[in-house]
Amino acid sequence: MMVLVENLTKRFKGTLAVDRLCMEIPEGEIYGFVGANGAGKTTTMRIIAGLLAPTSGRVLINGMDISKEPLKVKERIGYMPDFFGVYDDLKVSEYMAFFAGLQGIYGTKCRELTDSLLELVRLTEKKEAYVDTLSRGMKQRLCLARSLIHDPEFLILDEPASGLDPRARVEMKEILKELRSMGKTVLISSHILPELSELCTSIGIIDAGRLVASGSVADIAEKLAQSGLIKIKIAGNEENAVKILMEMPEIGEISSVAGVLEVKVNGGEDIYVRILKTLVANDIPVVSFHPEESSLEAVFMKLTEGGNGNEN
Amino acid sequence: MRINPVLQKDLKTKLRGWRAPVLISCYIILLAGVLLLYFSGSSMLNPYYVSGFNPRIAVNAYNLLIVFQFALLFIAVPAITATSISGERERQTLDLMLVTKTHPGKIIIGKIIISIAHTMLLLVSSLPVLGVVFFFGGIGIADIAKLLLFYIFTAFFVASSGVFFSTLFRRNITAIITNYIFLGILTFGPFILFLIRTYIMEATLNYSYNPSYADFLSILFPSPVFGFTSFYFNGGSDYYSSISNLWGSIATHIDSYIAQEKGILRFMKPWIANGMFGIIASILLIISSTAILNPIKRKK
Repeated sequence: MMVLVENLTKRFKGTLAVDRLCMEIPEGEIYGFVGANGAGKTTTMRIIAGLLAPTSGRVLINGMDISKEPLKVKERIGYMPDFFGVYDDLKVSEYMAFFAGLQGIYGTKCRELTDSLLELVRLTEKKEAYVDTLSRGMKQRLCLARSLIHDPEFLILDEPASGLDPRARVEMKEILKELRSMGKTVLISSHILPELSELCTSIGIIDAGRLVASGSVADIAEKLAQSGLIKIKIAGNEENAVKILMEMPEIGEISSVAGVLEVKVNGGEDIYVRILKTLVANDIPVVSFHPEESSLEAVFMKLTEGGNGNEN
Repeated sequence: MRINPVLQKDLKTKLRGWRAPVLISCYIILLAGVLLLYFSGSSMLNPYYVSGFNPRIAVNAYNLLIVFQFALLFIAVPAITATSISGERERQTLDLMLVTKTHPGKIIIGKIIISIAHTMLLLVSSLPVLGVVFFFGGIGIADIAKLLLFYIFTAFFVASSGVFFSTLFRRNITAIITNYIFLGILTFGPFILFLIRTYIMEATLNYSYNPSYADFLSILFPSPVFGFTSFYFNGGSDYYSSISNLWGSIATHIDSYIAQEKGILRFMKPWIANGMFGIIASILLIISSTAILNPIKRKK
């Protein structure tokens, strides 16, 4: 297991930011960390990166406890925060050399690594440019290159696409795909959930400091499909249709929006089949029968319903 | 040998561009201006040597210049160091440094060395101006070397305190103000304490209190001004120095007390005592700064 988080708790002056959080990220996994603002994502990531001491609990990276062997663990971690953290009066190559030096990489190896990473993040032509002349997206990509300078096994990316324009987001997504193909283990947080669902192999949803769901994207979506929504369009006899549906125990709320019945169902696909059969058997003219797919966005909204995250 | 990457980066950013040469030039011009004004002022004020040669003027000018440089050290070093860590925090680059395998202590040392190097650059570049006094004699290379050594000790201490407050406080302005207050208390506090003590002793012993050098040393040793009294060159009293040289009178006073000492304290000159205090205090400040900066120990 690349990352093992056990009962992680962080309290700031009486405010509980992270509450007994447990998480496992296997090697090579791209783990999406989803949560509303103030849910505890950044705090958790900062603790995992060794930038913050937890109130209780522990974090193991490749079997090593970060509180006991911080410097050894840091050799294996690449961290990209949700802000740029750049020196405007340094050139791109100097910026990379500075962080390479902090990781104990100098000379030819540093230059080679800088070249290959700038190529990866598509900044080769900006190598001798001052950092303050870069666009927001370029700065973000430079930060990503910086976090990779020591070839870490595990990458922590806190909202890497936040504040970027659509083009920069696409570019960032392409780079992350390349990282996945390089076999890196990545913990990535984002509000842009559809992008995460495409990119991640598994996700964890955090709400008010607690991990409310964790697993593969498909697993979580399926779990939530158990309480799905069906949109049924009928050509008439709506009153009778509602009456029939109300008699079924699996049916929750029913509402009618512009001639379409929106039916909340507690159950899986077998229930959907039975509903359709019952309606047809009772001569209800069904024009369309459309179970809503549970997108990651919908999953997130459902899981964090009523959640009240604390700012951290 | 690898150069500390923090030091390398700061050297590059601080010395790059027009600011550094302009700052050094302004400083040397200012220093030369002070010297010129002193020489011309002394000649004008002294009724007996209007056009003649007076070697005392050179020694007193030297005293004036080294006080000026010492004051600069106290003004410039905190301004550089008190923003060293809080500046990285404000720029949001501190976390990026702490997430690397570089030990926080190495980051602290890098920040201290850069400020000492910056100050030394100003001091060394001012040596030609200081060297003017060699034309007149009375001050040797050894004296200048000893003075530079004391400046390095003091810069090390002032820089360590600056970095400590910069680590302690999140905002630049808070760190700078607190550092100046701390240095102010440390510089003048012992003298105030000494005066209070003298007042109490005189009141108790009915004005027959005669302090020894040990009494001076035991209270004044943390004050850099006390240490600096070792570098006063008594060029004799001329018209100009007698009206302005408070430092000279303190230095002469302390020198006379040292002369009365017969034990080991005779060798414990103010600059050595203060230098030793500076080194020990600096080490403690560096250890504390490292502990505060260590993310695993940091609670916020």
